[in-house]
Amino acid sequence: MCLALAPAPARAGRAPLQLFVTQPYLELHTGPGRGFPVTQVVARGESVDVLFRRTDWFKVRTERGILGWASVHDLSLTVMADGTPFAVDTGTLSGFRTHRWEGGVFAGAYAGATLISAYAAMSLTDNLKVEADLAQFLGNVSDGYLVDIGLAHVFVPQWRVSPFVTLGTGFTRTEPKATFVQPIDRNDQLAYAGGGLRLYLTRRFFLRGEYRTDVVITKTNSYEVNPEWRLGFAFFY
Amino acid sequence: METRIRILLLSAALGAAVLAGTGCAAHPPARTAAAPGAGNGTGGNGSPAVTDNGSPGGTDNGSPGGAGNGGSSGTNGAGANGGDAGGDSGDESPVIVQPQVQRRSVTVPHIGARDVELGAYYGILSIEDFGAQPVQGLKADYHITEDFFFEGSYGQSRAGETSYELLSGGVQLLSNAERRFTYYNLSLGYNMLPGEIFIGHTVAMTSALYMIGGIGSVDFAGEQNFTVNFGAGFRVLPTDWLSLHVDVQDLVFRDDIFSVYRLTNNLQATVGISVFF
Repeated sequence: MCLALAPAPARAGRAPLQLFVTQPYLELHTGPGRGFPVTQVVARGESVDVLFRRTDWFKVRTERGILGWASVHDLSLTVMADGTPFAVDTGTLSGFRTHRWEGGVFAGAYAGATLISAYAAMSLTDNLKVEADLAQFLGNVSDGYLVDIGLAHVFVPQWRVSPFVTLGTGFTRTEPKATFVQPIDRNDQLAYAGGGLRLYLTRRFFLRGEYRTDVVITKTNSYEVNPEWRLGFAFFY
Repeated sequence: METRIRILLLSAALGAAVLAGTGCAAHPPARTAAAPGAGNGTGGNGSPAVTDNGSPGGTDNGSPGGAGNGGSSGTNGAGANGGDAGGDSGDESPVIVQPQVQRRSVTVPHIGARDVELGAYYGILSIEDFGAQPVQGLKADYHITEDFFFEGSYGQSRAGETSYELLSGGVQLLSNAERRFTYYNLSLGYNMLPGEIFIGHTVAMTSALYMIGGIGSVDFAGEQNFTVNFGAGFRVLPTDWLSLHVDVQDLVFRDDIFSVYRLTNNLQATVGISVFF
């Protein structure tokens, strides 16, 4: 079975975490998933070494050297050598309120063009975040990119559905399609303001939807106002 | 006859002594065998009953007081010989053991999460109207749960010639640079059929048949177009850190290469290898 396969190469020389079974037994699966069969159990009082993690599953080695996969739920019932329960942070609503980093991907529309975007944010406080965003828009008339940085203020971060507003600045590069107009690429500065909602899903994941108004300051001292909306999937750490 | 009676009496006395020596003195019959030797034999006084008393009176029972004391030590008989000492022992409060061992503190070592897969792939991409050409690319996967994963991929290929170009002799619809076909996709995958595959009697490898779909962009023929990709793949893990893939995907986008907007389907079949980090 899987258990017979050679163990993964050892990483850093630190000793693995040792956990003691307190429930009647700990089930070990042959693979990192609920459907993989249980071929070994570890009895109460015995211990396992935790080797590494994959999603919600931990590869462990028993005292007899047998390898298997234990679920995060089952391991949360074990204790460490000092008797304290083994706690795993898989993400909670309180983590949604207080965290350091977040990131995500979006799909949306920008001035009539289709928008694809990815963002990363760092929390200054539970309410205030610094965000950076990279987006590509693909339209019938022109394509281009947006790069921006700004601040986001989340009003009630502890709510499962929490509203926020954003304000920032950035650059846009517009590449008109050759078939329509004379292809002159433009690099312009922009500023944006907007707002939206964050919806906590589960674990470390949330949905984020927002609407922005982008003001593009062109080289001809005029400006364009472009609407932008986006909806995406994000996670926090 | 007289000799026989002597032998019987002797053997009876010996038997009693042996019984007393084996700690049976507590039994009433042993009391009767009050030989001096039997009294020492009730070193059985050092039995749990004595230590339970924990009092000096209890240990006094260890004196050659005879088997009778030994027998009664199981009860409160300690007081019989121990006198006052035995009585004092009853008033003592139980001693609470205070361990002088410092609590062991455990620093939780970081448990590495191998949820990220980085890899490369190679295969065939059928660019609509431009023939099937080799395609190669890089991809990164992040396994969110045992069911779902994110995938970002970047691939490139080179378009061939349309049948019109081949038949017309010399006509080129696209320049050399415009034949370059590059794309990226951001996809969400679902491990639809996880399982194991078996090789021989001893080797089993975890595997999964997954569906995948997402959005992205194609840069081809001098223009960029929004792309929707969807398909299915099969992943097998020979070890915990290595993964082999077979993927079939359709890249769908609208282009106007022939001055008419049309939806194109570009099928891609690849094999790949990835490493978990």
